[in-house]
Amino acid sequence: MTVAIAKERWASRCLETVLGTGPRQVKVGGDATLPFLHFEGEIPNPPVVALEVFDAPPQEWPEFLTGAYEGVLSDPVAWAKRCQDYGADLVALRLTRTHPDGENASPEEAARVAAAVAEAVEVPLIVLGCGVEEKDAAVLPEVASALSGRNCLLGCATQENYKSIVAGCIANGHAVIASSPLDINLAKQLNILITEMNLEPNRIVIDPSIGALGYGIEYAYSIIERVRTGALMGDKMLSMPVILLVGQEVWKTKEAKTPDTAEWGEHKKRAILWEVTTAVSLIHAGGHIAVVRHPESLQYIKEHIAKMMQPQKY
Amino acid sequence: MPGKTVLFLPDKLSVTVEPGQTLLQAATKAGITLRGACGAKGVCGRCRVQVKSGRVSLSGQGRITPEEAAAGWVLACLAVPEDEVTVYVPEESRLTEHRVLLEERESGVLTAIETAETSLRPLFGRRLVTLAPPTLSDNTDDYGRLTWTLQQHGERAPFWAGYALLRSLPRVLREANWQVAVELAAVEGATEIQGVIPASGDLKGPFGLAVDIGTTTVAAELVDLATGNVVATAGTYNRQAAFGDDVISRIIYATETAGGQAALREAVTETVNGLVGELLRLRGLNPEDVRAVVCAGNTTMVHLFLGIDPTYIRLEPYIPAVNMPPPVRAAELGLAAHPEAWVYCLPGVASYVGGDITAGIKVSGIAAAEPLSLFLDIGTNGEMVLGNQEWLMACACSAGPAFEGSGITCGMRAVSGAIEAVRVLPGGFEVIYRTVGGEKPLGICGSGLIDLLASLHQAGVIDRGGRFVPDQESPRVREGSEGLEFVLAWENETGTGREIFVTQADIQNLMRAKAAVFAGIRTLLANVGLPLEAVEKVFIAGGFGRFLNIRDAIAIGMLPDLPLERYTYIGNSSLKGARLALLSQAVWEEMKAIARRVTYVELSVGNRFMEEFMSALFLPHTDLSLFPSLGKERD
Repeated sequence: MTVAIAKERWASRCLETVLGTGPRQVKVGGDATLPFLHFEGEIPNPPVVALEVFDAPPQEWPEFLTGAYEGVLSDPVAWAKRCQDYGADLVALRLTRTHPDGENASPEEAARVAAAVAEAVEVPLIVLGCGVEEKDAAVLPEVASALSGRNCLLGCATQENYKSIVAGCIANGHAVIASSPLDINLAKQLNILITEMNLEPNRIVIDPSIGALGYGIEYAYSIIERVRTGALMGDKMLSMPVILLVGQEVWKTKEAKTPDTAEWGEHKKRAILWEVTTAVSLIHAGGHIAVVRHPESLQYIKEHIAKMMQPQKY
Repeated sequence: MPGKTVLFLPDKLSVTVEPGQTLLQAATKAGITLRGACGAKGVCGRCRVQVKSGRVSLSGQGRITPEEAAAGWVLACLAVPEDEVTVYVPEESRLTEHRVLLEERESGVLTAIETAETSLRPLFGRRLVTLAPPTLSDNTDDYGRLTWTLQQHGERAPFWAGYALLRSLPRVLREANWQVAVELAAVEGATEIQGVIPASGDLKGPFGLAVDIGTTTVAAELVDLATGNVVATAGTYNRQAAFGDDVISRIIYATETAGGQAALREAVTETVNGLVGELLRLRGLNPEDVRAVVCAGNTTMVHLFLGIDPTYIRLEPYIPAVNMPPPVRAAELGLAAHPEAWVYCLPGVASYVGGDITAGIKVSGIAAAEPLSLFLDIGTNGEMVLGNQEWLMACACSAGPAFEGSGITCGMRAVSGAIEAVRVLPGGFEVIYRTVGGEKPLGICGSGLIDLLASLHQAGVIDRGGRFVPDQESPRVREGSEGLEFVLAWENETGTGREIFVTQADIQNLMRAKAAVFAGIRTLLANVGLPLEAVEKVFIAGGFGRFLNIRDAIAIGMLPDLPLERYTYIGNSSLKGARLALLSQAVWEEMKAIARRVTYVELSVGNRFMEEFMSALFLPHTDLSLFPSLGKERD
């Protein structure tokens, strides 16, 4: 008795986004099928993993995480190079110093740091604002201009502040992260608003605002799944690659912060697995770029991706 | 403690209230209905009055500025008179009278709905009968003789009669020489004999009353039950409006304020009695001439009107006390009608789909027709019905009162001086508007708001998400106390000397209202797995529908993008339905059958409605392909 392999005939495919310039350029998206279903459609680009760099020494990180970046925590340029050495596909610079409740660094200051980091690494750069919508709207256009022509990925743009950020990306040749609060409709609406400013759809990356393992990951999972099926069924406003800001969610969970305990076991192992499990689950939902913090997480995730990229044979 | 006297200007009306009662309650007592949207909580800031003399104590400031407070301005719902006070009530704080929709002739749009009923067989009627006089070989009793004769004339058994009638029956029959007019009321499948009078008398009427008790407006028709003709019509505001704009705030007022339920019942009874008085005066009739009353209203209105506890309508799982209330005597309700007249409330379906909607289904004819039709009541509650002769589904999308002008900073109803049409020129520098009656503008009404929403987007002032585009140079876009706002009319153009503007919050409010309507439609369709195009006819009812420009409503994504000829406006189908039931026992029974047939869709269960709502919170919609005629379709 023969078994016929059931194959879905998808009407469309994800958009392909190119980030960075030169030999270490990264391409994401372009999938013509569900994650890793090679037998059904083409998957031209594997998911990629980025490591985070802070523009100031991070507070409240456990020792084994800061330990991985020992000696470079106060120097974003050196830190970024370390990430590159660890094998990161991209470097994600987080502009924490611009936060209005903290140092409130100026847009010019932030742009200077970003330019220095971009200059130092060969891999593409992601630049993340402080998360305060108004401040990001002022900072990111300045960063965009300082990084002009480097084809970076800037974010996050929201429905409240997308205008100036997107204008900066258009003027300086960058891609933008469009961030929406775990809602497929809001994600789509923001993409429409951004494309109506004439940024090409393949210059947009969707940030669905994921939750970490145990903290709402299932919502993120189903949203990302719906983005992917939407793209495959031909919805152009859902065809963009998806970025997973894993590190920022995982390292604030109590499972990643609590030291060794009898019930939960070894701290380091547990925290890294929390990051790996979150990232891998959401890559299986359809995520394209995972942004993590620990270099060991990066290794595990990349190993998993490499295995999954081996085509099935029927 | 003695009562406090309050004199209201410029009306020069004086009333005495109990200690502790507010100016709002005093005004209601004086027959002045103040605007109020929040259920007398001091939040909406609409019941502004100016204290000219005397002392009041305040339980809060509301949105009164210190300068205004210094000039004596207070919110009537927060002010309690401490001695004799004189209060000035400005025009904008009143629920001004306006034309309440009574007849389809006002619509200007249509209508081809056939309302003629096959046979006139009202819920109350006089039947002229001649009884065979008793003989030695026909010794039936008088009452039996009467009921047997009625049955021979096709009246419906069983019969019953009051004891008082029996006491006078022998004499009446003989004095009338066995020729009598029998007054019959149809009650719950039986026939009540309410009176037996000589057939020779001067017989006027009898008359009946059809009443539409809307959340916002109440309308009534006086109907000659012998001919089926409407002899007078009247409409006014529901005086309950002083206690809240929507059904929820009124239920809260009824359940959480001491005496609240009684106050609401009194307010609606007075409203109806006021209308009845007006109608009777017009025709030189007395309350005793009104022998039957049919009321159509949503479930909450019916509960409040009948004085039935509405508490559980708003609490999960949303259970009304009764969907199909049995008839009640007018005397028990304190209605200005014959004390024995039955008051019938049209059968409802569920907590938020009431008898007014059953009436709409009957009047639009969708329950008897083959094409898939949609009935929409575009009002505060946003009830809608989808179906045909085979099945019917209903829901209430709770659009809110935004399109009736409530909850919008400069919103108002479509009365004289309301901006009813607007065009904002590209860039948002210039505004062209038209007001009802060509008066200086006082505010903006529903149709103007729909126009405005579409126009602000086209002009580039707001984006598809309904947010103001930042950094605009137009002087009309400015920073207000609650974010950006857009000035429609400058102070020197308006009738109040105050600017007319819309805030970001107003726009979001409108977006939610329009999204709720469209999401409701999509949810009903999704329940049966049908696309928008499957809807062959759309019937629009409700007071607001009359002012609605379908094209505009499609442009903002409130109504489905269907050919305009599929839309029909049917006016006040609630009032019309009440009249049809009043004039036909068959229609009354049919409405009960319709109400039983309708499947109520609970929108709060499951993700579907919320999903649809979020996708409709966009201009016109997140899925632009649903609006192909807008020419912006994406592939």
